Amino acid sequence: MTSASKQSESLVSTLLFWGSVGFVLAYSGVLLGAFSVQLFAHEFPCPLCMLQRYAMILTVIPQLWIVTNSLRGKLKKVEYARCLGMSIIAAVAGSFESTRQILLHIATKGDPGYGSAVLGLHLYTWALITFVVVILYCGGALMAMPYGTPAAPTSPAWRGVARVATWLFLALILANLVAIILLEGFAWILPDDPTKYHLLQQLGFH
Amino acid sequence: MDIIIMAVLTVLAVLAYRGAKRAWVVGLWVLGLVLMLILFKIHATSHLHLNF
Repeated sequence: MTSASKQSESLVSTLLFWGSVGFVLAYSGVLLGAFSVQLFAHEFPCPLCMLQRYAMILTVIPQLWIVTNSLRGKLKKVEYARCLGMSIIAAVAGSFESTRQILLHIATKGDPGYGSAVLGLHLYTWALITFVVVILYCGGALMAMPYGTPAAPTSPAWRGVARVATWLFLALILANLVAIILLEGFAWILPDDPTKYHLLQQLGFH
Repeated sequence: MDIIIMAVLTVLAVLAYRGAKRAWVVGLWVLGLVLMLILFKIHATSHLHLNF
């Protein structure tokens, strides 16, 4: 391998690693935004909203695996390809859920949509956009894969940035677990239009 | 069912973070996906009585 091709492979490997870190951070931002709307605007997520959050988490987990295995220096090309495939499948499933919710509100004439709009679009429309972006990103990463595999930086500071991204995502998952326990309570599924934390009501706090 | 799915996803995320064996991560990921699709089928085939 020539020096130029080694440099090119190193650049692609670095870009693919930070692509996965950016993926984890971006979806953490999306989940944090959705969580903020729930906590501060008191807009409780409907069942389809929660389904889209699960799809987002299923989309990010393979990228989390890529980041942590890259940091350990254990990531192989075959594992990277598998993780991209998993993210694409979860994004396609999530796009079905977003599309169902969009169509549901289009189908009813005069329906203002569920919840508040953010920058002119409802959260489920933004969710569909993020799923499409994921599919495009994974397609690009698969095209770049013959030229490199994600490689973590050696600098402790940059490795720390990647670790913080993974911790933020884990913290958001834990927060969502607590939130869904409070929302669902002892019911089997969420009500169509949740307006309160059912567990608190069932335990007599409301 | 939402709590079960979220619990599976939490365990899955922790395993992925700790670099668990591929079989565990892929297996739990498939389980999470299947459970999510089952729940989607439950909600998609019923009318949502949304109240604005």
